Amino acid sequence: MVVLSAARWVRSRLSDRFWRVQEVLKYARHFRGRKNRCYKLAVRSVRRAFVKSTKARREKKRFLRALWITRIEAASLEHGLKYPAFISNLVKSQVELNRKVLADLAIYEPKTFKSLAALAQRRRQEGFLAALGDGKEPEGIFSRIVHHH
Amino acid sequence: MAAARARRAGASLLWAAVRHRSSQSSSPQAGLVARTSLTSPPWPEVKLPDPVEEAKYHAAEVVRKVNGLISAGQYGRLFAVVHFASKQWKITSEDLIMMDNVLEAECGDRIRMEKVLLVGADDFTLIGRPLLGKDLVRVEATVIEKTESWPKVNMRFWRRHNFQRKKIIANPQTILRINTIEIYPCLS
Repeated sequence: MVVLSAARWVRSRLSDRFWRVQEVLKYARHFRGRKNRCYKLAVRSVRRAFVKSTKARREKKRFLRALWITRIEAASLEHGLKYPAFISNLVKSQVELNRKVLADLAIYEPKTFKSLAALAQRRRQEGFLAALGDGKEPEGIFSRIVHHH
Repeated sequence: MAAARARRAGASLLWAAVRHRSSQSSSPQAGLVARTSLTSPPWPEVKLPDPVEEAKYHAAEVVRKVNGLISAGQYGRLFAVVHFASKQWKITSEDLIMMDNVLEAECGDRIRMEKVLLVGADDFTLIGRPLLGKDLVRVEATVIEKTESWPKVNMRFWRRHNFQRKKIIANPQTILRINTIEIYPCLS
């Protein structure tokens, strides 16, 4: 007999189910328990892992900044300055180093960090004199603002 | 009423005269005032050096010495803090930097980084406020590689809401090699 249209009971069947499953399982191979082998459990774990890594990428920045601040605080306490005093006086002296670089200097360049702490301490003393002296003493050297054109 | 007010005024005048006389009589003994916890402030008294003298010392001693060291070349490895691609990097010569963006320079181009915040050697550090002059420091780098990052998975999922989105992101990256950091003895 002549068949003009395809039979309706023939459906297309998946032939690459194995590779679709492997795409998910490859991210779960280092997990613990049955979720590194069984697809149904692995799908859930892999989804949670992706979502957690997405959110963690935003929190990594906060975490690293807190770490840098802790390290700078420890290093400046070694030189007799507290962290808020150190940072505020560095900013007032127009030294625009960020916390990442300050933490690296504190670890790898101790002499440079000591000079920065001394600079902050000097600017702090000049600030105190300016506040308590009521304008009768001459202005401090490190309090002068540098203008660039 | 008037009499009472006059008497009180007279009494206050008498009291003021007594007080005045008593202060006059105790002025030769002013140096023997007792040292209490409130005579001096609780913070340590700090005497800063005289600005004129300090400027002279700075110009003569410090600047001359550092200029001498720089012109004699008596420094070892130099490190610099450079502001580049909206980030600050602590770099030395011959080290690699990877940044998460596209640079409009071809591979092999030589780049000069102009925003230098700090330059240091073993014996001295030059701190910029906030930047150091372009005639003082020269930092050169070469573009080595322009690639993409590893494919990062960005996934959002709300439970019980049938909502999940998965996106694979590969950021463009550039790798630079810092060739040299040079300083010139033009401090003042």
